[in-house]
Parts: sequence; C-alpha cells; structure tokens
Amino acid sequence: MSLYSTAVKKPISTALIFVAVVVFGLFSLTRLSIDLLPKIDMNMIMVMTAYPGTSAADIEMNVSKPLENTLNSVSNLKNITSQSRENISIITLEFEYGSDTDVATNDVRDKLEMVRSYLPDDAESPVIFKFGTDDIPIIMLSVTAEESTNALYKILDDKVSNPLARINGVGAVSISGTPIRELQVYCDPYKLEAYGQTIEGISAIVAQENRNTPGGVIDIGSNTYSLRVQGEFTDVDQLLDLVVGSRDNKTVYLRDIAYVQDDVEERAQETYNNGTRGGMIIIQKQSGANSVEIANKVYEKLPEIQASLPSDVKLGIIMDSSENIVNTINSLVETVVVTFIIVMLVVLAFLRRWRATFIIVLTIPISLVASFAYLMASGNTLNIVSMSSLSIAIGMVVDDAIVVLENITKHIERGSTPKQAAIHATNEVALAVMASTLTILAVFLPFTMITSGIAGIMFRQLGWIVAIVITISLVSALTLTPMLCSQMLRLDTKKGKLYAILFTPAEKGLNWLDTAYSRLVNWAVRHRKTVIAGATLIFLGSLMLIPTIKTEFFPTQDNARIGVNIELPIGTRQDITRELAERIDKEFRDKYPEIKISNYSEGQASTDNTFAQLSNSGTHIIDFNISLYSTGVRKQASGSDRGLTEICELMRKDLEAYTEIKRFEVLAGGGNMMGGEASVDIEIYGFDFSETDAIANEVAGRLKNDETISQVTISREDYIPEYQVDFDREKLAVNGLNVTTASMYMRNRINGSIASLYREDGDEYNIRVRYAPQFRQSLEDIENIIIYNNAGQGIRIRELGQVVEHMTPPTIERKNRERVITVSAIAAEGTALSDVVKIVNEEMRNMQVPPEIAWQLAGTYQDQQETFGDLGLLMLLIVLLVFIVMAAQFESLVDPFVIMFSIPFAFTGVLLGLSITQTPLGVMAMIGVIMLIGIVVKNGIVLIDYTILCRERGMSIITACVAAGKSRLRPVLMTSLSTVLGMLPLAMGTGEGAEMWRAMGMTVAWGLSISTLITLVIVPVVYCVFAANGVKRRRKKIEKRISGAMNYNAI
Amino acid sequence: MKAILITFNQAYYDAIISIMDRNAIKGYTFWEDVQGRGSKTGEPHYGTHAWPTKNSAIFVALEDEKVEGFLDLLHKLDIQTEAQGLRAFVWSIEQLI
Repeated sequence: MSLYSTAVKKPISTALIFVAVVVFGLFSLTRLSIDLLPKIDMNMIMVMTAYPGTSAADIEMNVSKPLENTLNSVSNLKNITSQSRENISIITLEFEYGSDTDVATNDVRDKLEMVRSYLPDDAESPVIFKFGTDDIPIIMLSVTAEESTNALYKILDDKVSNPLARINGVGAVSISGTPIRELQVYCDPYKLEAYGQTIEGISAIVAQENRNTPGGVIDIGSNTYSLRVQGEFTDVDQLLDLVVGSRDNKTVYLRDIAYVQDDVEERAQETYNNGTRGGMIIIQKQSGANSVEIANKVYEKLPEIQASLPSDVKLGIIMDSSENIVNTINSLVETVVVTFIIVMLVVLAFLRRWRATFIIVLTIPISLVASFAYLMASGNTLNIVSMSSLSIAIGMVVDDAIVVLENITKHIERGSTPKQAAIHATNEVALAVMASTLTILAVFLPFTMITSGIAGIMFRQLGWIVAIVITISLVSALTLTPMLCSQMLRLDTKKGKLYAILFTPAEKGLNWLDTAYSRLVNWAVRHRKTVIAGATLIFLGSLMLIPTIKTEFFPTQDNARIGVNIELPIGTRQDITRELAERIDKEFRDKYPEIKISNYSEGQASTDNTFAQLSNSGTHIIDFNISLYSTGVRKQASGSDRGLTEICELMRKDLEAYTEIKRFEVLAGGGNMMGGEASVDIEIYGFDFSETDAIANEVAGRLKNDETISQVTISREDYIPEYQVDFDREKLAVNGLNVTTASMYMRNRINGSIASLYREDGDEYNIRVRYAPQFRQSLEDIENIIIYNNAGQGIRIRELGQVVEHMTPPTIERKNRERVITVSAIAAEGTALSDVVKIVNEEMRNMQVPPEIAWQLAGTYQDQQETFGDLGLLMLLIVLLVFIVMAAQFESLVDPFVIMFSIPFAFTGVLLGLSITQTPLGVMAMIGVIMLIGIVVKNGIVLIDYTILCRERGMSIITACVAAGKSRLRPVLMTSLSTVLGMLPLAMGTGEGAEMWRAMGMTVAWGLSISTLITLVIVPVVYCVFAANGVKRRRKKIEKRISGAMNYNAI
Repeated sequence: MKAILITFNQAYYDAIISIMDRNAIKGYTFWEDVQGRGSKTGEPHYGTHAWPTKNSAIFVALEDEKVEGFLDLLHKLDIQTEAQGLRAFVWSIEQLI
C-alpha cells in the first residue's frame, strides 16, 4: 500500500496527524522568542589588558607585542589585530568561520596563562571577551539627576541596577557616565619632605591600619570565644588621625601632611541625555533570552524603581531594541499575510473552484507552522531571516499541491469516483512532484553549507527553513491533498451565477491564451533557427547591460540609529569639549525633529568600565548615540520623513562647519555590523609612522574631493604630546636606584597609589594616595619629585634625568603583527560600493607608494569579495546538483540539458531588472539568482516531462511539443505567477528592515517572469532540435546495422 | 453456467463489486494489476510514465439466467464514463467441480 492510498483510505488518521503537526507547531510558536537576527556567534575574541598610566607606545611594546606573538599560534586564526592606546591594549582575534569559539577561547586562555609572566607586573590580567549578537545592549536607559549627581553611581547601583539584574533573562546591567566614589588622600610634597615621609610609606600605613584580623579562638571558663581585631575604618575622618611617623619625638598625623577628600574619581566620563547631565544604564540580555519579553518586564519594573529613587533622579529610555524588533517582525507578518492572500487569489483565478482553492491554500499554513517546530527544536528565534524565509516559501509550497489537485480533477472529470481518482491521479504525478521538490531542495540545502560570515548565518537558516517547509509541503501534497480531494471534490457541472460573473472573463482569457500559445509554439518549432538566433541575441543583448550594473554588499538599513564620533584636537580640556558637545547637541535637536533621543558622552572612561573601554574615550572625544523615530512612525512623530542616510549626510555637512573639530565620523545604523553604509577600507601597512601617515593623508585628501564619497576617516589619531622622563642610568646607579624604582615613585605621586579599600554598606571604594592637584600642574612639579634610595637619601628627579616633550601616536593599530593605518571611505547616498572601489583603486594607482609600504582593500569590499566568491562556487554546485536530480528523474543526459536552457534567461531577467530599477547587485540579489536556478528549471521539468509523455504516447516530435505546451501552459503560469506575485510584497516592502529583502524579491520576480516567458518558447524549440538529432542518429545506427547484416549475408 | 471475464480500469473496482453484491453474485476471482489496451478506442493501461493507468480483472462464474442482467448493468456503468474503459467477455463453462 502506498502512502497516498493509505492516506485516502484513512481520512481521519491523516487529518488528525496534520492537526497534530499544526498543534505542535503552534505550541512551538508560543515558546519561540522574538529577536532581530539569528544568534550570531561572532568569530571574534577580544583580549583586553589594562596597564593604567602607560602610553600607547609602551603598551604596544610591553603588552600587545608579546600577546600577539603568543596568540598568533592559536589554531584557525584568520586575522589578529591590536589596538594599543593609552592605558589599554585590545587584541582582536578573528577566527575562520565555522570554527568553534569555545575551543578557541580555551586555546586563547591557555596561551594567556603562558604569557602572563612576561607581561609587566603592573599590567592587569588580560580579560577575554567574546562578542556576539547577544551582547548588543537591548535597552539603554538614561538617568538624569540634579542634586544627587555625586552619589548617583551608588544610588543607581543599589536601586536600579540590582533590581533590573534580578529580572529573569537580564544578563548584565552596567552603569556608565556616573562618577564613582573614591577617597582621595591629597598630600603636600613640601610637608612630606619636611616630615621625612613618602607616598609609599603613607600608602603602606593606610593599608596596614585598615584591616580586620581574626585572632583565633580562646577558651574562657566553660565557653569558647573567638578573638578579632576590627581595625577597618568606619568613618572617613579616621584616616586623618592616622599616625604616620614621628619627627623630633613628636607624633606626625596624616592630617599634618595631607587632607582627605571623600569625592569622586578625578577624571570621569560625563553623559548627557537630550541636554541634561546624567548617566546611562546599559542592559544586556542573557544568551538566548527573549529581548522583547525582557523589555516588557523592564518596563513593568520601571515605575516601581522610579518611585524608590530620590525625587531629582529621573529615568528615561534612550534606546530600546525591542521596539525595532517588534516593528520589524510585525511588518514581516504583514508581508507573509499579503503574500498568502496573493497566492490564494492566483490559485482561485486559475482553478475557479472554492473547494479546490481551499485544499491548496491549506497547505500553506500547515507547512509554515511546521517550520516553527524546527525553529524551536534547533533553538532558533523568530527573526528577520526566519520570517522572510517563510514569506519566500509561500509561493513555492502550493506548487506540489497544485499539480496533484490538477491531475485529480482531470480524473474526476473523466469519470472516476473521487476516492479512486485521488489514489490513481496522485500515483501518476507522485514521481514528477517529488523530482521537482528535489530540485528545490538541491538549491536550498547547499545554502545550509555557506559558512562565510553574516551571509552564512543568514542563509543557513533560510536554507533550512525553505527545505523543511518544502518537504512538509511535499508530504502534505501526497497525503493530505489527495485525502481532502477524495472527500471534498465533486464532479460538478452546474455553475452558479456568482461563478459566471466572477470567472467567465478569466475562463475566456485563459482559453484565448491557450490557443495563442499553442499557435506560437507551432510556429516556433517550425522556425527553429530564427527562434534560437533570436533567443541568443536577447541573451547576448542582456549581457551588454553588465557594465551598467553596480555591486554592493548589503543594502543600508534604516534602523533609526546614528552614531557620531567627534574628536577635538588631542589634549583639549574637558570643559571645552563639554561646551562644544552642548552646542552640537542643541543644533542637531533643532535641525532634525526626527531625533527622538540624543545621548552623548565625553571624557575619559575609567579602566573599570569595560563597556566604555571598548570604544575610544578621552577628554577630547564626544560620542553621540542618536535614536530617530522609527521609519513607521517618523512622519507622524516629527512631521518630516527623511531617511537615515540623508540625515547622516546632512549631519556630516553640519559638522564640517565646526572648525574646532579635528575629526568626525557619522555612522548610519549606529555602527551596527550589518546594514550600515557601504564602506571601503584601505589598509596601509608599514612600521614608520610618518611614511604611512603621509600616504594615508594623501589618499584621504584625494578621496575627500570626490563627490561620490561622503566621508573619509583615517584610523590613526593625532599625535599626543606627552612628557617623558629620560632617566640617566649612570646617575641612577650612582644613587643606588634603578629605572623601575624611580618610575614607580613618579607614578605613585602623579597617578596615585591605591592604598586600600574603604568599606561602607557592603560596597568598597578605593583609597588613593597621591599629590594634591595643585602640586602636579607643571613640569617643575614633576622635576621636584623626590626619590628615596635604600640609604634613605632623597634625590630629585631633575638630578636623575630630564623631562622632555615627545609626540606619540595615541592608538597604535596593528594587523597580523604589522602596524597598519586604515583609511575608510563611505559612499554617498545613491553611490554603490563598486563605484567607490573603482575610485579608490584609481587614486592609489596614481600615487607613489614606497616599496616597503604595502596596501590592500578591506572592509565591506573584502567581505563582499569573499562572499561573492563563495556564492559563485555555490551557484556552480547547485547547477550541478539540479542537473543530477533531473538526469536521474528523466534517466537521460539530454533532457535535463534542454531544460537548463531556461537558466541563462533567468540571468537576462535579473540583469534587466537590476538595470531598470538601478539596484546594485548585492548578496541578497545573488541569493535571488541562486534561488532562481531551482525555480526556473521547475517550469522546464513540467513542460519536458509532458512532452516526453506525449511522444511515448506515439505523437511526433512537433505535435508532442505543441500538445504538451497547450496542456502544461496553465500549471506553468500558475506556479510561476504564484511565486512571482508571492515575491512582490518582499520586493516592494516598506516596513522596517524591508530594505534587506527588496533586492532579492526583485531579482526573483524579474528573473522568473522573463525566464518563464522565454522558456515557454525556447525549451520546446531546443527539445525539437535535440530530439530530431536523436531520431536521426538512431536511424543511422539501424541503417548501419542493416547494411552490416547485408554485407554479412553477401559473404 | 457462464464464465464472465471483466477487464476494467482500476477506478471501477468499487462500483463493480457493489453491483455484484446488489445482485447477490458471491463468488469471483480478482487480479488487481493487469495490463492491456483496447482494440478500437481504448487507451493503453500500462502503469508506465506515458500510460499511468492500470487495469484489473474479475472472473465470475454465473448461472445463465443472471448473465444478461449483470452485463446490462456493466454496460450502463461503461457508458457513463466511456474514457475509463470496461469490457466483459462471456463464454460457457463445460464442467466444474
């Protein structure tokens, strides 16, 4: 008993099995979390090593280089880049795609363990960071405060951060932009000298006095008591009463030589939200948690938290990624629904039967819902990719059911009872249906093998979902569809009035089309040379369009976020930076009503704040984080409807007007890794700073003059003026000192030494001992620092060496262990990536680059090249697979070859579409082209399959072609139209995130339309040519054998 | 006694069995898959790609007086949907055990 006869004979079991599938799918749907993108395990590991108080060059030499050299031997490493900047070294290890990050992390950890002892003593332990999509903050809250500014960190930590962190699914809650309390012991160097004290001595005393010590246990009488010394400070003022020594038999107290300030850290990053000072709370989720759910819980909790805060502290929302997610998913749900309705209308127009339409359309929800079960089982989420995949699949899932139902109807019309018809008709087409499904699988399963980068992550899921949905639709077409047909279809010759009104025109139109098409085929197969020549001309003509087509990587997405990074000349004081930031902020908010929240921070972030450390900070740097109203509501909310890129371009113009700005960067998408503006990076390798700088500056200068480039930035920042103390080793030696001791003395006085921790209410604060601010303001102050040797003699720095001014680059970037400088060019609106690449290549060729300096193009361009290469290979693989599937089905090598003739015309359609709509060819369009390979051959299969059938039934080649064409026109048009129209909502989508899929929808729609039209003529013609040759060859063979036999007879 | 061999498109199976039940024709022999083609208008029934339909055959031994009525019913069935194909052949049985 076959699958379909069982299904027809057991309608209840069949129906219930599918009900179970749907229930299971819907159950999974309730458990699925919603997210923007599939989980992207970035193939990056960062190693951050802080070495406070060190310059970039020192970090490079002492931290980055040894780390790089060791880490370079980790397996699967693709690139190793490092940034050495003041206080910190950041090494980024980029691994080959598909390598296991957990294994890599362990390798890295082992290597770090090995290299630890080679690092300077004061360098903190290297910290490993893995960065994935889960680490992107889901919510950023703004905090504004008036009176409570100084205590803000503690308030937020206790009252906001902790309750939020308790919410299920919230990963980390970090606070930035609020100063952290620190106890400052400010010493007077003159008094220190007079009393014979040193910073080191005071630090040691503070540390020794501030200690709780358990003294063991003691038995007294019948009891045992534990003994303790509670020496820790309970009040800040206790510090002042510390005895630090004695001079002339008099006790010296700390208050005699220093004053204590219960204050905040001296240098801190300041954050402003819509112009008001405050802090920022960044909420990250746990891996795999549901962003939208967390956001809702956070919103629920906020009023409660707000009520517990002092009245001047106000919480607000800067960024909420869940909003974007919800909008995007909603717009995709809309797309799916619209596609569903369109496909339903197409089926209804062709079949003109309500029941038949119902049977076919039912396949759609069943197959789609089943894919939810896959998503849950594989731990995926409902995201842009999975939802779009569903939308893509809708047009294709009905194909199998259509073919089956069409044949069943034909059998019923010939007089079978529905039950018998269902079994036999399904039996007839089962093989053809399976084969055409296999060709689709041959296209989509290889997608799951793409491993390169973001394209891999996106299309792996696309591949799986379409493959699963199509497989389910095949099973449903072979079981549920015949079962329903046997129960619901009737031979019904009576037609109602409504039917007449609705469908008579459609009926007439289709009949006319049938006749016209059979005439066309009849003419074409008799004028084979003309038709083939014409088709070749059309194909070659379309190739002429290639030079007009531009290429890109991914289209820019309007996610309503802008990141602006502004740098003033190095060393600008924070007051000046702050004042400028206020001005720019005000200008932006006046000029662009689209801005919902403008958040900016300036100032040096502390080394404790890892989140802030990931980006550059300093007293001269302003970082803007701007959220616009999302595309859906921008018009109502602001009365203006400018796009993201347009606003970015305008902002760049505004910033150019500020002469005090040294450098700025406006990043559409807030520096998001996907869907940002197209950029080309020129990497210039070379050790010598001045040479590479000169070249970078020249390229940047040349590119800036070009109108198609909207922004040029050079990665290397300005040189920092810094003072270096050059110790004279001889003098040091004479005085019994060495560089380490001497430099430690200096560091403890200027940077301060952290003597101990002050504990209060369960929190710990640093106690920092250093010179009071007024004693570290000039070079003389440094020169006057006294260093004591073992003999107790004090020697001033001026006697041991010189303080000289040097210029060093603030951040030293290295890639693959070579110093690199990157010039990035961002394309202006309407300019494609390929244009920029062309310009950059031309300019670089026109320049004189010294031989010791190497350069190469990277950035989006490199990603694009790699992905295009992969996709090209994939395309070849898929063509081969599709050919194999067809050859197996037809048991012939010629027939699949004939069918393959429809593929070039798919390219013709794509080229035409790209060129007419002026869309650049990106990864999405490439994917569209690959999908087309599978979709267009389906038409050919249907056509050729029937032609072969007709010939086996005894028709001549030409009659068979005409008859097959006439009979198969409707199924071909129907499946093609349902796919093309099903792509339209994607191709014309305007919702959030729709930019991404527009190119793909467009490509498939154009390619399939043109290819279908041409296939309908060219495939019968080519078939005629090959079949006629085959017949001739066979005749010759027979003749030969006959003549051979005659010769044999003659002998 | 007469022997009747009915060869028909598989789709007729249910209909023929129900006719036989109605007319209290109990005994029969049934071959599910047989192939063949008609002499004049009948399409081939090969179960192949080109001719995917198949025939079945039923052999019935019947009292002489029942044959006429049974053939009539079969003929009516055939006329309703001629494209499917149904033929019945009758000959005499000389002996049976």
